Amino acid sequence: MSTQSIPAQPLAARAPGRRRRFGLDLARPSRRHWLGYLLLAPAVLLIALIIVYPLFISLDLSFQNVGIARLDQPRRPFTLANYERLFTSAEFWMACWVTFKLLVIVTGACFVLGLATALLVNNRFRGRSIARLFVALPWAVPEVIAVVIFAWIFDSSFGLMNWLFITLGLTSQTINWFSDPDAAFAVVAITMIWKGYPFVSIMALAGLQSIPEDFYNAAKVDGANAWQRFTNITIPTLMPVLGVTIVLVMLWVFRDFSIIYVLTGGGPLKATQTLSIMTYEQAFGFFKMGYASAVGIVTLVLCVLASLLMVGRRAEAMY
Amino acid sequence: MKLRSSRIVLYLGVAATCAVLLFPIYWLFVTAISPPADLRSLPPRFWPDVPQWQVFSRIAEERPMLLWLTNSTLAALGSVALSMTVSVFAGYALSRFRVRGGQSLGLFILTAKMLPATLLVIPLFGIFRSVGLIGSLWSVVLAHATLIVPFTTWMLKGYFDTIPRELEQAAMVDGCSPLGALFRVILPVATPGLAATALYGFVLSWSDYAYARTFLTNAQQSWTANLGITTMKGEYVTDWNEISAAAVFVALPILVIYLFLERYLVGGLTAGAEK
Repeated sequence: MSTQSIPAQPLAARAPGRRRRFGLDLARPSRRHWLGYLLLAPAVLLIALIIVYPLFISLDLSFQNVGIARLDQPRRPFTLANYERLFTSAEFWMACWVTFKLLVIVTGACFVLGLATALLVNNRFRGRSIARLFVALPWAVPEVIAVVIFAWIFDSSFGLMNWLFITLGLTSQTINWFSDPDAAFAVVAITMIWKGYPFVSIMALAGLQSIPEDFYNAAKVDGANAWQRFTNITIPTLMPVLGVTIVLVMLWVFRDFSIIYVLTGGGPLKATQTLSIMTYEQAFGFFKMGYASAVGIVTLVLCVLASLLMVGRRAEAMY
Repeated sequence: MKLRSSRIVLYLGVAATCAVLLFPIYWLFVTAISPPADLRSLPPRFWPDVPQWQVFSRIAEERPMLLWLTNSTLAALGSVALSMTVSVFAGYALSRFRVRGGQSLGLFILTAKMLPATLLVIPLFGIFRSVGLIGSLWSVVLAHATLIVPFTTWMLKGYFDTIPRELEQAAMVDGCSPLGALFRVILPVATPGLAATALYGFVLSWSDYAYARTFLTNAQQSWTANLGITTMKGEYVTDWNEISAAAVFVALPILVIYLFLERYLVGGLTAGAEK
């Protein structure tokens, strides 16, 4: 990230006549950093207005007993009740457990599937570029559309999956996927894996392409077999990219709303209610925005902690 | 001989992988053009005897599909325009200037990517309610900017980093002002990067559901396509061919963008990965 070097000197050699036209000559090296701030100002202002200020409000809300957030009303008294209620509620711990299960299963599967796909299409063969295009296609499918697809495939009466299961003799009766807690969880996980793995394969492919062919040739000369080349060259060189990718996939699972909400709404029996869904349900289903903000703040803290743990000091690489 | 068979295995493997992974998209399309009776027959038909192409024109007439698509487009264009305007300058500043606090701004943008939309949506709802934006597309434009700005700023910074700074130095030696150099030299050179970044923002906005669901539910005339589609999914009964046809409408623009501009989109996505 060696991007912040000092501006070049020839700038001073500009026509003096033009310089006087502006009150503040932004091209002069000593003034140049002013221009930097000026260029950053709109972004900082926008971010402050639509991200920082709202974030501050939700932190504030989480310490109040608020039903529906209104800015034109006086602040309610400070209270820790939301957090106390949160940590003693079984629903919260259930949501944590569901989030954790989903994180492990979806991230793990996306990782394995994405890496395997990337390795497969990284081979040389005719039509390789088309194959690469296709294997990453689900990345471009909007989440709500993915939900439509899988809700129909797992439909309880005429869904493809029930037909497949019965044809293969796995079950004798149709499974009602969305009323059984475990089955609903499986459907959510499968939908998320299908939507999420292409990101891993896109990133892994980019990483694979940056490994010089010479590494492999040298290893071949030294008599390394394919498996040894994979474990000693491919995996170590890919690791930095894969580490960042895994964190990004995890964050996506952590925060996802559309897939779970449209597919199951968090049910049945809250079996698919992650922290994200719980936040939304409390805020816009039960209109307990103070409590919901507390759930959301805890989610955010967990997100930050988890990614710090995973990436550690290499956080910069995530840019 | 051994080489031959290993190639066959490779082709089979690629074909099988593509088939399994792409099947859901194919199935969506087939469902849309199947007559409703086919969808209630087992075993399922993997291609209808009589494709019902008219389903697309039917839902365009009977449902406010075009209105939804227009709203989605407007929301995406608005939020992309807003985000790109601020991101171009910010990305350039972060790439070229030694700015105090630049590092911490970077860290902040990184955390902004971790923000759960379900957390941010609560205060935004409060703010938009007090200024009367609930139900208006503007609420979604602003909310989508929270998704887009963190991405576009860093993507653009990455693109600007790849452009040699000698370019604008030469322009300034020739009498360009620093802003003139940005507009006349750097931006034209960065056009592919700008386009890719804008498209990426478009995809982010187009795919959103959480914000539209929260701010627009009670204002049918401003429903975006994703929100509209979810209202077609009934709790007990769903017209699967109609909802699939609607889904094709919504997915198509993004899929087309992806198929033709994959290089640019993926290039932006993986710019950090190749470092």
